[in-house]
Amino acid sequence: MTRKSLPRTPNRLDAIDGSRPMDEQLLAMIVGLTSEVTVLRARLDAAERLLAVSGTLPAGAVDAFEPDAEAAAQREGLRKATLDKVFRPLREAAEAELAAMNAPAEETLP
Amino acid sequence: MSEQMSERRAQLDHPLIAVPSHDELAEQLFVRDLKLYVMTRIEPVQARIAAAEQKASAGANNTAAALRERMGQHESFSTWLSLKRESQRQLWSSVAASVERQAGDLEDLAAIEAPLGSVRTDPDFAVPDYIRRGDIHLMPGGNAHDDGSILQGAMMDRGGAVYMLGRNGGMLNDLRGQTAMAHVLTRFPDLNPARILDMGCGIGTSTVPAATCFPGAEVHGIDVGASMLRYAHARAEHLGAGVHFSQQSAEKTDFEDGSFDLVFSCVMFHETSQAATMAIIAESRRLLRPGGVAVHLEVPLLHDNSDAWVELSGELEAQYNNEPNWRGALSADYRSLFEAAGFTSVETGYQATSPAARSGPFRYGPESEGVFRSWFVASGVA
Repeated sequence: MTRKSLPRTPNRLDAIDGSRPMDEQLLAMIVGLTSEVTVLRARLDAAERLLAVSGTLPAGAVDAFEPDAEAAAQREGLRKATLDKVFRPLREAAEAELAAMNAPAEETLP
Repeated sequence: MSEQMSERRAQLDHPLIAVPSHDELAEQLFVRDLKLYVMTRIEPVQARIAAAEQKASAGANNTAAALRERMGQHESFSTWLSLKRESQRQLWSSVAASVERQAGDLEDLAAIEAPLGSVRTDPDFAVPDYIRRGDIHLMPGGNAHDDGSILQGAMMDRGGAVYMLGRNGGMLNDLRGQTAMAHVLTRFPDLNPARILDMGCGIGTSTVPAATCFPGAEVHGIDVGASMLRYAHARAEHLGAGVHFSQQSAEKTDFEDGSFDLVFSCVMFHETSQAATMAIIAESRRLLRPGGVAVHLEVPLLHDNSDAWVELSGELEAQYNNEPNWRGALSADYRSLFEAAGFTSVETGYQATSPAARSGPFRYGPESEGVFRSWFVASGVA
């Protein structure tokens, strides 16, 4: 079976009273960023605690770290995922505008 | 009472639920805490603004619609609604990524060798309009989404537990089903059902408690989504419950007249329509043998619309979280609807929340004990 991605955009997002679409997009990005920072901080905290317990992280080791090619590629993937998450609202809005231009008379459910 | 969501990943209540990685759990806990923050730190301020608005316009038009217009003049009203909706979108986004990462493992777990129950999907099933018009709870793809896998069900399971903030029976999310069965034992202690039907069963969170409470019964569950039902089947098997799931609308099923002793539902009506609610109650009556019992459980927020803010909050929840029949379900006269469908001994009231049906509490009365402490239940005899 070919596995498909789960959908990410729900059908029907009514306009919020007094809110411009851009307000919502900005807010969504800030929430996304806050989520990312929270997850990062939790992971870093876990790592530091584990390393401190085992005594394996000498002082200055993180600052002196140079990723090899494989690590650099993986770190690039992480950065791309972050961008995808944070700027999702802008891409969605652009795609919605494009879809409206391509199919102006598209039938919608009442 | 089951554990609330915590950082202890090992404390899971069933083996099929999508287990988050360290980072995924941190993200889900962030969503949970964001929802709590909106609920406890921002929403009460809106309630106070609403109270001040109502006081300022005492004697004037104090309907929910008039209040909504006045609230709309406050920018914080919009940001509250936007943040609340975004927290819900983040919930599904984080759960979807976690489910996709472990899709292969979940599918392996869902392949049941010698099942006690079964699952029957219908490729020609016509999805009701109230499901198609908007994705309920903003779950992308909606309840009827089907890609041939179990993944939408896995998403609903984990997402539902996070959505309820762990307050509805932890990862089992089963307090409603336990409470519906406790209601049967409270009002009809002599009923020993041989065949039970759970309408709008979703991933079977309420169906499994029925099978556990009445281990000798043949238990069926119906809903609109094939992915949800495949997952429900596997989930029930992992919990040791033999349930027969099928993809059908509760408005019109293919079961024979008088073929059940107990027909029940949990928080289904507010996801349908007023017309569907009437049809579902009539279908419940048709499916029951004489003396059989219908039990329909709903959210315990039934109100008399005397407080414009309470009414407006519900209306906003319905609109921005896609609850297609919130107002209809919360204002319906269930006694009249049941009696019009031919039920007798109809009662409406509040059943105390039960963590395990057979251990009670067996308390049913006219007053709500509060949200999550009791559930609205209407029941009647065919």
